[in-house]
Amino acid sequence: MITTGSNSPIKNTSYQVVLPFYGYAAVSFLIATLLILSSTSAFTEHYFNPPTLAITHTMALGWGTMIILGASHQLFPVLIEGKLHSDFLAYLSFIFASLGIPILVYAFYKFNMGGIALFGGTLINLAVISYLINLWLSISNTQSKNVHAIFSLTAVLWLLTTTLLGLLLVWNFTTNIFAENSVHYLSLHAHIGIIGWFLLMIIGVGSRLIPMFLISKYENEKQLWWVYLLINAGLISFIFIFFLSLDTTIYLIPIALIGAGVLLFGNHIYHSYAKRIRKKIDEQVQISILSVAMIIVPMIVLTSIVLFFTMVNSKQLVLLYGFTIFFGWITAIILGMTFKTMPFIIWNKVYSTKAGLGKTPNPKELFSNKIFIANGITYLIGFIIFSFGIIQSNVFILNIGAIFLLITAVLYNFNVFKILFHKAKSNEY
Amino acid sequence: MNIKTNNSEKLELALTNLYHVMDPEIDLNIIDLGLVYEIYFDEKSNNIMVEMTLTTQFCPMGESILESTAQAMKQSFPEHEIHVNLAFEPPWNQSMISEAGLNFLNS
Repeated sequence: MITTGSNSPIKNTSYQVVLPFYGYAAVSFLIATLLILSSTSAFTEHYFNPPTLAITHTMALGWGTMIILGASHQLFPVLIEGKLHSDFLAYLSFIFASLGIPILVYAFYKFNMGGIALFGGTLINLAVISYLINLWLSISNTQSKNVHAIFSLTAVLWLLTTTLLGLLLVWNFTTNIFAENSVHYLSLHAHIGIIGWFLLMIIGVGSRLIPMFLISKYENEKQLWWVYLLINAGLISFIFIFFLSLDTTIYLIPIALIGAGVLLFGNHIYHSYAKRIRKKIDEQVQISILSVAMIIVPMIVLTSIVLFFTMVNSKQLVLLYGFTIFFGWITAIILGMTFKTMPFIIWNKVYSTKAGLGKTPNPKELFSNKIFIANGITYLIGFIIFSFGIIQSNVFILNIGAIFLLITAVLYNFNVFKILFHKAKSNEY
Repeated sequence: MNIKTNNSEKLELALTNLYHVMDPEIDLNIIDLGLVYEIYFDEKSNNIMVEMTLTTQFCPMGESILESTAQAMKQSFPEHEIHVNLAFEPPWNQSMISEAGLNFLNS
């Protein structure tokens, strides 16, 4: 008789909870690149237009948010040092989001801000509320209230603020509930999402996982608390400045606070890297570290917008800013981290019952590394060319960039579904 | 390697298979990682107790590593009952990695 872990608290989140999020996100990325290829001319116009709205929300919700929701259900136990409270709430979150996102995106694409958009937005809010309750109860059940857990919980609260505000903005299109029209509040909605949700969550998870992958001796929780304070202070000051309608240059204050937080986080990662035991780092972690640093690109663009607002064509800079966030920073992180998390989930699913009974492949062998590298190359080419196309307002250049981004999405989907459908060879056991 | 035991000879036999149990993420075996704290052989009850840890609590690969450890022990001692228990006291840290493990990670 064999017994394992009789006093073990390590019952992990079921793969059945996590994997649908990964599959959904991969398909969303493919759809977003198809939308971008069919709407390149929209990137020469004002940023508030139906295709741009549809693409942005496919990227922000279908791609970025869905993969974070999936990965975080798996990684929360590591972050909060406790079990995920409920698989049911996780399923519920997936069902609401997976229905709500395409409905909302369709409504934006057709610019139908009536009942359809409201219905889609409501479903998305229900998904976020399910997720928040699950995380809240998971943290409540643990004794450890560490900085990573607080980062995650705060990020989800900001996510709910973003999606609720988004829903109200949709409503405001047909019923005047705000003093100004919805377009006026777009930057508020976008920045609460980008800084409050994506940045806080990425730092909360990254500050735990990157040192873990590096097997680093470096620990500095106090520094991470400073990062937390600076970024939240930056975001809250931004909200105040927005509502007080202060001079544009005052926005340099939140930029400086958030920038200082990001630099401090960079310093944390640098020291983790310098004090690592594991010298040979795989490509997935290398790309993840590099992509975290890519937040610098949109921050430079944003500073340029604030400083040179009246001197240059800000329309292009605003589009470039959004593009460098969703197709730059967030996409680069996901392209790297997918292959650092997903193969292990599938490996556990396929081989945990076969452990010790024969030779099992390494999780890295579950996807093609050649395609992973090709994916990185096409992505970088596409990102650079498309960014150049936005600056030049040139549809031909934008089309070339969009084709490379589409190839990136196809290669990414190939590897993701290769992992998803992986089965053990019958002659191995 | 600093594994507590009450039977050094049987420990040697156990190690031959435990050296093949890997942490899939780090790609290093559990012995050189320093995950195994104690192996106790209870001859009267025919039980073997393995006390081990993980590099982090709630490690996503934890269940597989425990299962692999149990299977490896069963291969060495097919007539025994194997019990693998997790311990997080003391918590694992980098100083528990063996010289060979450090050389592998530094290469």
